[in-house]
Amino acid sequence: MENHHISSESEEEEFSDRFVCCMCLELLYKPIVLSCGHVSCFWCVHRSMSGEKQSHCPLCRHPYNHFPTICQLLHCLLLNSYPVAYKKRELQILEEEKKTGYFSPQLDVQAWSSQANQDSNIPGDSVSKELSASMQETVFDSYNLNNAIAVSRPADGGDYEGMENVTEQVKYPLLSQQQSGSPKQISVADVLCAACKQLLFRPVVLNCGHVYCESCIVKQDEEKIRCQVCQSFHPARYPKVCLDLQNFLIEQFPKELAHRRDGVQRNHVNPTTCEGKSSKEAEKSSSGSYHRGVGCDYCGMYPIIGDRYRCKDCVEKIGFDLCNDCYNTSSKLPGRFNQQHTAEHQFELIRSDIIRGSVKDNE
Amino acid sequence: MVDFARVQKELQECSRDIERSGIKVVPKSDANLACLLGTIPGPIGTPYEGGTFQIDISLPDAYPFEPPKMQFTTKVWHPNISSQSGAICLDILKDQWSPALTLKTALLSVQALLSAPQPDDPQDAVVAQQYLRDYQTFVGTARYWTESFAKSSSIGIDEKVKRLVEMGFPEGRARSALETVGGDENLALETLCSG
Repeated sequence: MENHHISSESEEEEFSDRFVCCMCLELLYKPIVLSCGHVSCFWCVHRSMSGEKQSHCPLCRHPYNHFPTICQLLHCLLLNSYPVAYKKRELQILEEEKKTGYFSPQLDVQAWSSQANQDSNIPGDSVSKELSASMQETVFDSYNLNNAIAVSRPADGGDYEGMENVTEQVKYPLLSQQQSGSPKQISVADVLCAACKQLLFRPVVLNCGHVYCESCIVKQDEEKIRCQVCQSFHPARYPKVCLDLQNFLIEQFPKELAHRRDGVQRNHVNPTTCEGKSSKEAEKSSSGSYHRGVGCDYCGMYPIIGDRYRCKDCVEKIGFDLCNDCYNTSSKLPGRFNQQHTAEHQFELIRSDIIRGSVKDNE
Repeated sequence: MVDFARVQKELQECSRDIERSGIKVVPKSDANLACLLGTIPGPIGTPYEGGTFQIDISLPDAYPFEPPKMQFTTKVWHPNISSQSGAICLDILKDQWSPALTLKTALLSVQALLSAPQPDDPQDAVVAQQYLRDYQTFVGTARYWTESFAKSSSIGIDEKVKRLVEMGFPEGRARSALETVGGDENLALETLCSG
């Protein structure tokens, strides 16, 4: 409570209401965009999901079955727009994660923000120096913590070597950035569509976290939407426009967007008319046995319905699991949390006898 | 562990808006933010108009991912609120809860429930039956209960009961006498003496 008081009263930068998470009422951290276009924090979405049945968007109750990946574009946008507040949130979440023992995935911000970094060689002011000093400590703590996990685990062969890698990789990207605490100018290059490489117009976010113009998605005529960047399927039909991002873009780039609007309207039919038929998918997957509180680390299905494959070698508390479909495809996506899963790890098949018969969320 | 940072934010936001909404939430003690007291004004144009209703709120550990527990401490005559215990039958306080709701929006829903009873999904069968069979009597009773228990004159009813008990009347009779006359101590005394 004390902490909260300090953080809300301190003279840090103000952030737009649209970037306040509807669940924790704080600045969004590691934002996830649901298929309905609503945004919340990684952990808030995870906690609000039902481990037993279909989940619903906290804002519009739109049903969904898959835990989406963090939207990296939005993550970098927030980090660059509100560096002090966002890093404060990182510290806060890191503290919570250390308490629970569950860690969110590390994001490689460097790749995204390298462009924006070019003009920021000003040394940090005293506030950000202080901040980064305390952040270094936290990194050190989590280093120890990871070692503790490795040690407490009985030595089963090659594991230990793997854990060395873990500690190597626990570099908090936000922390390692020695940048000033002042917000950066967002450029069009930070908010491009993954397909047309132009300024996002009516942005939609797929389950994998990649962002497209709404019109760039609809152009594909496959049965299921497949992400052109990571090749993963979007498990629902048409995602809806992320209005928070759209309104932010309108504010930032009014002229550019007006230009884009003209272009898009000439080339495409308005795609929103396709949304009516989107509930079929949800129905299909809500029957059969399921694994309470266990999600697939590739596609995000939560809970896993049908057979479950559990990794026997991942040491993280959250575990590493795959659904039947993902186990049978050779996808190389990283886990949804901080797992250091590798291709050499062994799986075991787990069947569930919890049948979802009486759960009446089929409608 | 309750997300106290969020509760604190909610309390601030609620007190900022109190002029407009009339909805108040305060912690019972500063030491524990999980036990709170909510206050809603009775909606205008209903038998609850003019009343101020108190609601006991306790937050489960998983709040806001689980709904807050709410219960009227002011007696209310309403099909979806127990006339005995004050328990509320409202979907958003049960399976339809969403973590995007807040204490304020939940209390607003309770207030809306006062305006729009759902007798087909009753909490109190007696009240619901009366509502369906004899609406006029229902309105009369609900208004009477509002007068007796939800007005400022009835807030200190325990004090008044105590004073009457000190005069030598049995507590049960003192209380019912006070309830009958709408909380007026002198009228209650008259009733008790004549009765």
